[in-house]
Amino acid sequence: MDLVAKGLTLEIEGENHLDDISFGMRKGELYTLLGRTLAGKTTLLKTIAGLITPDSGRLLFEDCDLGGVPVWERNIAMVYQQFINYPHLNVFENVAFPLRQRKVDPAAINRRVMTALSSVGLDGFEGRKIQALSGGQQQRVALARSLAKEAGILLLDEPLVNLDYKLREQLREEFRNIFSSTVASDSILIYSSTDPLEAMQLGGEVIVLDEARVLQQGPGHEIFENPANTRVAEISNDPAMNLMNGTIGDGSIQLGADMALPLPPHFKGLTPGDYIFGLRASDVILADKGISFTVELSEISGSETYLHVAGGAHKFVGLLDMVRNFKAAETVSLSLDVKKIYAFDMAGDLVSSPFGGGR
Amino acid sequence: MAKIDLEDIAHSYDPLAREPVYALRKAQLSWRNGGRYAILGPSGCGKTTMLNIMSGIVGPSEGRILFDDVDVTKTKTAERNIAQVFQFPVIYNTMTVGENLAFPLICRNVAKDVIARKVGEVAEALGLEKLLGRRAKSLTADQKQLISLGRGLVRDDVAAILMDEPLTVIDPDLKFRLRRKLKEINEYYNSTLIYVTHDQNEAMTFAEDIVVMDQGSVVQIGNPQELFERPSTTFVGYFIGAPAMNMFEVRVTGKNKVSFGEVEFATDTDLGTIKTANVKLGIRSEFIELSAAKVKNGLQVDIERVDDFGNYQLVSAHNGGQAIKVKVKRETPVPGDKAWLKFPEKRCCVYADEVLV
Amino acid sequence: MHKIYLSLKYGFICVWSMFVVAPFLWALSTSFKDFQSVTSGATYIPWLQFEPTLEGWRVLWESPANGGVDIAEPYLNSIIVTCLASIISIILGTLSAYALSRFTFKAGFIRNNDITFFFISQRIMPPVVLSIPFFIMLGFLGLLDSMVGLIMVYIVLLMPIAVWIMVDFFNKVPREIDETALIDGCNPYQAFFKVVLPNSIPGMIVAGMFCLIFGWTDFFFAFILTFTEVQLLPVRIVALNSSITPWWSLSAAALISVAPLIVVAFIVERFLSKGNLSGALK
Repeated sequence: MDLVAKGLTLEIEGENHLDDISFGMRKGELYTLLGRTLAGKTTLLKTIAGLITPDSGRLLFEDCDLGGVPVWERNIAMVYQQFINYPHLNVFENVAFPLRQRKVDPAAINRRVMTALSSVGLDGFEGRKIQALSGGQQQRVALARSLAKEAGILLLDEPLVNLDYKLREQLREEFRNIFSSTVASDSILIYSSTDPLEAMQLGGEVIVLDEARVLQQGPGHEIFENPANTRVAEISNDPAMNLMNGTIGDGSIQLGADMALPLPPHFKGLTPGDYIFGLRASDVILADKGISFTVELSEISGSETYLHVAGGAHKFVGLLDMVRNFKAAETVSLSLDVKKIYAFDMAGDLVSSPFGGGR
Repeated sequence: MAKIDLEDIAHSYDPLAREPVYALRKAQLSWRNGGRYAILGPSGCGKTTMLNIMSGIVGPSEGRILFDDVDVTKTKTAERNIAQVFQFPVIYNTMTVGENLAFPLICRNVAKDVIARKVGEVAEALGLEKLLGRRAKSLTADQKQLISLGRGLVRDDVAAILMDEPLTVIDPDLKFRLRRKLKEINEYYNSTLIYVTHDQNEAMTFAEDIVVMDQGSVVQIGNPQELFERPSTTFVGYFIGAPAMNMFEVRVTGKNKVSFGEVEFATDTDLGTIKTANVKLGIRSEFIELSAAKVKNGLQVDIERVDDFGNYQLVSAHNGGQAIKVKVKRETPVPGDKAWLKFPEKRCCVYADEVLV
Repeated sequence: MHKIYLSLKYGFICVWSMFVVAPFLWALSTSFKDFQSVTSGATYIPWLQFEPTLEGWRVLWESPANGGVDIAEPYLNSIIVTCLASIISIILGTLSAYALSRFTFKAGFIRNNDITFFFISQRIMPPVVLSIPFFIMLGFLGLLDSMVGLIMVYIVLLMPIAVWIMVDFFNKVPREIDETALIDGCNPYQAFFKVVLPNSIPGMIVAGMFCLIFGWTDFFFAFILTFTEVQLLPVRIVALNSSITPWWSLSAAALISVAPLIVVAFIVERFLSKGNLSGALK
């Protein structure tokens, strides 16, 4: 492991901004920090950069303790949410700034700057002033500056969140290509995001953060298939996973007075008792002979419909693969795909998952 | 509650210039009473200008605005009886949350018990009931935005509630609840809601009708399903839906057939009227059928990568220089290198000079 | 409609310009008069209504022995004192403002805003309050009637202006720019000089302008803290007064003393309008 964090903790005015954070990262890999706003993602990125000093814990890069190393001596680059560039310099000088600071020779500076600009799609923009660029272009300049540095760690703090929806989609594609080509072998890329779909699309390992703690670290599909606890299940799904309290007893799942589901094969061996069951919105299916629910709200998006229903004590969101406008208070019959159901114990930890995880 | 009509509205911020640049090109729009609308478009398309014209903050350089057939073009904002919510929280820092919410009612001399009731209702709907006594200054950004939103909702007799990207700073799970609350308010009070955004997902899930704008012009108006299945221009096809609609440059080779390279696709449109050579075929990634085996009249593609999005897989493929994206279910096995794509007739949209035929 | 608006606009500007320029024109014509012309009634246009003379101007250069008031030396003193005091004030003020903007200070209940206000409050205070303390302090240091003493006092008076303007300016430059400079390899000093400072030049120019104006026109402290060795321009001009008020030389003196500020204003305005001050960020 090239970047190792051990027990990073930071407390400000009684609030935990980092709570015993530990992880390991390898060179040449992309890691996504996934979490809601205020989960501690920005704080963690700034701690790795050295802008924030933790109260306790250690950070080691290539076996070297970064504890006493000031920001300007660390081998890092960072891209912020807010399109940060040097306003008094043109595009070329912006990208060249860190290289000039490190006294790289002019020929190499020229080559690296032009390569970086080319890889973000800004050929021919070298002479332009920063103020004349659009938001997306400014962010590309910021990215080019980070790439030209060829730093050991590249930190990206929700870089696309201030851009238009469609531009975000486009840049995400481009980022992926850039990341896999230029910086492949040597750098560690750390990208923070609140959007689980973005985390999946970037394709690297995912570290789930919540309330200043690391909840789970693993490949994207592992987080998807086997979320370690209910909180990870909520954060890593959009819409959030449906969670319901229920019990397992005499061979079936009891979700309420009149809601019973057959026991799926992967629940075999679970002791009867109280559990929290989880089911994704997309595993809720419209069926003729299912359980009856009342519609609270239906929203159409493209070729899918989000259906918010209530039944007994439970409220669900279903993602149906069709377009239909349901009226509020209408009754629908839904079937819950038990083959995809998760079981968490009452403390929230994963007990059984359709993909084989859990105890 | 009012029907709003925009008659021949156009706006330029510098109308006296020799060649005025129009932020909003001439348009004719009607917003029915109690409707739930979204104005959707990229940055700079004129959507905020249109919103500000309706609320009266900006006076249009041309055209008229009518509320229930009464000309209000010259009426000041306060008299138009509009509630407007902005992208960033606009709150009165020195007052408490409760006082902030009550402010519009206090200004209109509403009875105290009515104020208390309405403030209570709105606070509960937005989850602010525990914070009513707190000073507004000490809250987080999304709580402040909720107050801003609440202030726009507390008056139920407004002609329309205009919102300019109000949910940008809100967490995704709260967004669901707020959208639902807005819909409930729309149904219960029958107030017109107009929501400006650049996020097509928000527009699609929120609105009954969406007005798509680009560079000052209204490009298409329709419900989410129409815009998704039959976008009237290639721009709408690109802007709505994630990912954007796949576009192929094709030649017309029959009454309702087009050709892409060697492959011929049948469509359900009469292509006899097309005179131009700029013809495109558009089809959504959700509707393309993917198979590992060779299919008659199918397009052979090389698979570049398959992304696992949890609920579905996104296949990125190409045929020569043409990139294509296909959405398939998670369970569907995707072949490693080659596949054949079939385009169902009903789902093909043909565009001549970027406009739907 | 448009034409009415335009003509009203230009008409108003003309009226206002005359209102502003009139005193200068009056001073200009008066400076060329002599005793007779001044007392014999209101006359404005030279050669037509009176005979212009250079008496008013000549007096300013003649040494006191010849009945004049030699303003060459005070003029130079004023320039030196004002410029030095302004430059040092801007340097110290900018550095303080940066610290107040970027670092958090806490001493009991005193915070950054309180310290900034403390600076600004120096300007609210009536100068009279400081006259005796300064007099005593300079006397103690043996710096009465000296350039150094005067410059020190002026720095105390002008620095708050620089702090006031620059704190606001620095607050508008996002902290993230500093951070990016640090990440790009600059230590905090380099970050300040290479990145933050170039973006603050507009603010420094404005602060500089205000410092120059207040320093140049100060009469009060120059009057009480200097006597014979060092004399500043405002004080020397006052010395022109005698039993007959010499309007002609006073006018000439007034024009001469305003001249440098006008030059500064023109230079700054050129700089402003060239758009060099667009250090703005999106």
